[in-house]
Amino acid sequence: MLTINNLHASVGDKEILKGVNLEINPGEVHAIMGPNGSGKSTLSAVIAGRDTYAVTEGSITFEGQDLLKMKPEERSWLGIFLGFQYPTEIPGVSNVNFMKAAINEQRKHKNLPPLGPAEFLKLMRAKMAYVEMDSSFSSRGVNVGFSGGEKKRNEIFQMAMLEPRLAILDETDSGLDVDALRIVGNGVNKLRTKENSMIVITHYERLLDYIVPNFIHVFHDGRIIKTAGRELALDIEKRGYDWIIEESGSKNGK
Amino acid sequence: MESNYLLAPKANHGFICKIPMKGTRQVYVVNGHIQGNEGGPLALSFPKGECDDTMLQVIFVRTTGESGKISGICMSCAPSEKADDGGAIELDTASSIEFGEDCSKKLLLCSHTFTPDRFLTRERCEINVRRGANADITVMQNENNRSVHLTDYTINMEEGSALKMIFISLHGGKISNKLKVNLNGEHIDCNLKGLCLADGEQHMDTEVLMEHYKPNCNSNQLFKYILDDKAIADFYGLIRVAQDAQKTNAYQANHNLLISDYAKVHTKPQLEIYADDVKCSHGATVGRLNEDELFYMRSRGISLHEAQLLQQKAFANGVLEGISSRELRLRMESLVDSRLRGEFSSCRNCSKNCC
Ligand SMILES: Nc1ncnc2c1ncn2[C@@H]1O[C@H](COP(=O)(O)OP(=O)(O)O)[C@@H](O)[C@H]1O
Ligand SMILES: [Mg+2]
Repeated sequence: MLTINNLHASVGDKEILKGVNLEINPGEVHAIMGPNGSGKSTLSAVIAGRDTYAVTEGSITFEGQDLLKMKPEERSWLGIFLGFQYPTEIPGVSNVNFMKAAINEQRKHKNLPPLGPAEFLKLMRAKMAYVEMDSSFSSRGVNVGFSGGEKKRNEIFQMAMLEPRLAILDETDSGLDVDALRIVGNGVNKLRTKENSMIVITHYERLLDYIVPNFIHVFHDGRIIKTAGRELALDIEKRGYDWIIEESGSKNGK
Repeated sequence: MESNYLLAPKANHGFICKIPMKGTRQVYVVNGHIQGNEGGPLALSFPKGECDDTMLQVIFVRTTGESGKISGICMSCAPSEKADDGGAIELDTASSIEFGEDCSKKLLLCSHTFTPDRFLTRERCEINVRRGANADITVMQNENNRSVHLTDYTINMEEGSALKMIFISLHGGKISNKLKVNLNGEHIDCNLKGLCLADGEQHMDTEVLMEHYKPNCNSNQLFKYILDDKAIADFYGLIRVAQDAQKTNAYQANHNLLISDYAKVHTKPQLEIYADDVKCSHGATVGRLNEDELFYMRSRGISLHEAQLLQQKAFANGVLEGISSRELRLRMESLVDSRLRGEFSSCRNCSKNCC
């Protein structure tokens, strides 16, 4: 489904991604863990098409198509979704108008007519219930004045609305209390199917109790240095990353 | 005292304004003359104590159509030969509007051109808001992009009166609104807002002189410009607080959103304060579309073009939300939407349909 091959990306003179390889098949959940500043968010932004980062080498293909040639919105129409680590606030654009624009453009590219107002509201209500979001959120500006947890729930709500083929959740669990974590975890699980895949970027074992991954990758200094099964998360929780970094010998750039 | 305005629905030869909501009455002023009246310039007077929620709409029209006959011609259609021969077709006109004591009225002032000629309109408009009156005025300016419309407003407000005036400027080669507002009594509330959308080589010019002469008055100004292509905007605002005008609250803001690299804005908000117990502030910003917001929207499948529109509408909303009649607000929102999408300038949407 998604194939990343020797991906290098930089901002100005600074290289951030230094040869990422990753293969994701339909139905798989991949967790990416790793220290702060290692390039996890950059990887997700590059997959979603943020042009702040220049790809200098390598490729990303999604179902055989060259993603790097596509605009962010075209990637979204293919079914790629990024749950932002820091969701953007958009003052003056209400959640409901934002989602209406998104849904109707998605439908346009599937040759479907726009949803009527009643159908749209019904869909919106159903998906808000997934993440136990109060209906008062729909008239508020996108993420404006939302708490950290509310912003993350809003990301999952949007994901539920768009039903992506590949969702990348960038630290959606950071800063959530136990209740919010349960809500987010359950919300995500409802969206899991045999065809859909996910990349879950996290620091914590606890989210992986809800969303059980097929693989765990450890990210360090712009590349994946270890890949293992679900049990690795427990080791990381206990022992941190240093031993993995030493093991891989990449600590001194070797 | 009686209202001296005339309702002249018979005067619309072929042009039907689509703005009116239920209960709106219309007056047409064609080339400076009230239709269906003796033909004098506009002189409105709302009687003392008259309060209602219905709207009166005044439609100023410039046209070279026969005997003021109004025909709906697309604003971007080729100009008639007549106009190309000479220079601008000039008009000097004066109008007056009076809100009688303790009345409360809503007024919509529209200005249009219905032939594509190059018009030059110089207008003097005097507005008197008498003691305790409550005036609610929306001004909609939509003329062809070869025309120039310069308006000097003198607004006199008396004790305990309130004015809310919102300018929406969509098309016009040059639109200039100069306002001198005299707050002549205490406890006056004056609220001015403006939204200008300009592209091509349009020039938008706003000048506000807010005179606080007496204590305990509030004034609030918010002017927003969205400028694309080579559009130019000028904003000059001065709040002057006289020595006597203690406990004044006066605010003024001018915010600009530049879409192209060639659009220009000159902004000069100013304060002159001679009293010591006042709250005043002023400010101006010039910004561009926000890249983070655009990327966030695009990542949800909203195309770049649509994302830019959403941002511009969000910016415009700060002014539009001030329109108190819900129906009029929705109508204006959709006009602004079409304007931002560039729909007026294509022939299938001629001026007949835009308002
Ligand atoms: N737009 C940017 N400009 C400059 N440096 C950046 C930018 N984005 C990320 N970086 C740098 O790239 C490195 C990786 O950042 P990031 O991808 O956010 O890491 P992570 O998500 O793993 O914490 C950091 O050193 C960060 O400062
Ligand atoms: Mg990160």
